[in-house]
Amino acid sequence: MVVAVWSGKLIMLEKTKNIAKQILEEKKANGVLGLMKNQRDIVQPHVFKRLPELDALVLEPKWLLAKLSMSILRSSPEGYRLAVLCRGCDERALIELTKRNQIEKENLLTIGIACSQEQAAICLCDRPYPAKVDAGEIASGVDPFQDERVREFLIGNDKKRMEKWANVLKRCIKCYGCRNSCPICVCEPCKLEDDVWVQRGDVPAEMATFHLIRAFHLSDTCVACGACQEACPVNIPLLYLQLSMRKTLKEKYGYEAGLDPEKKSPILSDFLKEPETGREYPEWINSLREKDGH
Amino acid sequence: MNQPRILIFACKWCGLIGADAAGKKRASLPARFRVIPVECAALVEPDAILRALAGGIDGVAVLGCHSGGCRYNNANHASIKRFELLKDLLDTTGIGGERLLLSFGTAHEYHQFEEIIENFFNELAALPPLDPWLSPFGVVS
Repeated sequence: MVVAVWSGKLIMLEKTKNIAKQILEEKKANGVLGLMKNQRDIVQPHVFKRLPELDALVLEPKWLLAKLSMSILRSSPEGYRLAVLCRGCDERALIELTKRNQIEKENLLTIGIACSQEQAAICLCDRPYPAKVDAGEIASGVDPFQDERVREFLIGNDKKRMEKWANVLKRCIKCYGCRNSCPICVCEPCKLEDDVWVQRGDVPAEMATFHLIRAFHLSDTCVACGACQEACPVNIPLLYLQLSMRKTLKEKYGYEAGLDPEKKSPILSDFLKEPETGREYPEWINSLREKDGH
Repeated sequence: MNQPRILIFACKWCGLIGADAAGKKRASLPARFRVIPVECAALVEPDAILRALAGGIDGVAVLGCHSGGCRYNNANHASIKRFELLKDLLDTTGIGGERLLLSFGTAHEYHQFEEIIENFFNELAALPPLDPWLSPFGVVS
């Protein structure tokens, strides 16, 4: 069994190397962004430009390359084309970035890698594969709402949950790691640095403003890659904040961030023009019915 | 009894006129609310609502025009979706989506303003205070 898993991984790696080789040989791109294991056995992101370098290419561990590829593309001369080895979440993040005009679509090639089942379980990912899979086998998604750790934070008594969240968020040391690691957080200037919204210099961060403003800004763009959570030095489960918003968008408006490059976010458009599922007013709206006799 | 504080963002074409009318008719209203006029319900940033909650406000109401009655290309419909997501976020964190009220009406319906604020006030009074979420710096006095 273990052997089978290993050989599967080796085949996947070989396949990826071949694709990268082909891209470099045919000069489809100026470089291939991926992970490299250097002589000291340390894994780091690297832009492969020459063929012999490709021997050091590795696929594990999970390392999000979307934000890195954006900064490479931005600082490169015009016409520079980059191929990126990306997982499902990476690809979705890149699509969101192209939608927001941060990356030019023509300058980007993607090599899609499907995540393993174990990785999907670690990330609680409901879609652990990119739309275009080049290497690896598609694993089935995990429903995050079935996970016990998540349910603890999302379901149950309001008052207890409020305290639970407050206790977790109190640990924040305001390192801005969640914002900096997020592939989609690109606003300049950032509201989290503005005194009007978030008091600067006080630690822990104000919970209702700092964390919830950040979470809300990503409501329709979050691709659930978990980069914020991984970057957090005090283990705040930041991804759980996004889950119910993502669920609402999916169920009511049929929208998932990063799937369709042409589809605009529903929160920018008219409520009445939504497909049938979204047309009913949410039940919590206090719709102003006319009083009798008026 | 717990006296909640309410912040109202009222669209100046409908909600604000309704609120004004309620005042002119001497409707009996709970005292602890403030009205901020805005151009359109869609202009109220969800961030502003979060800021208000952190500043010691117990509930925020956003009043806009009737559906189809918006002056700005049905912008108030975009606000429905935005606030739906914000409500999800508030529910997730246990603050409770019921602290946010979105309501659409027209200018002559002052009695509805009265009714809404009264109901909202009573609902909020039953909720536990937001203590753990208050900002140590920006508390509204």
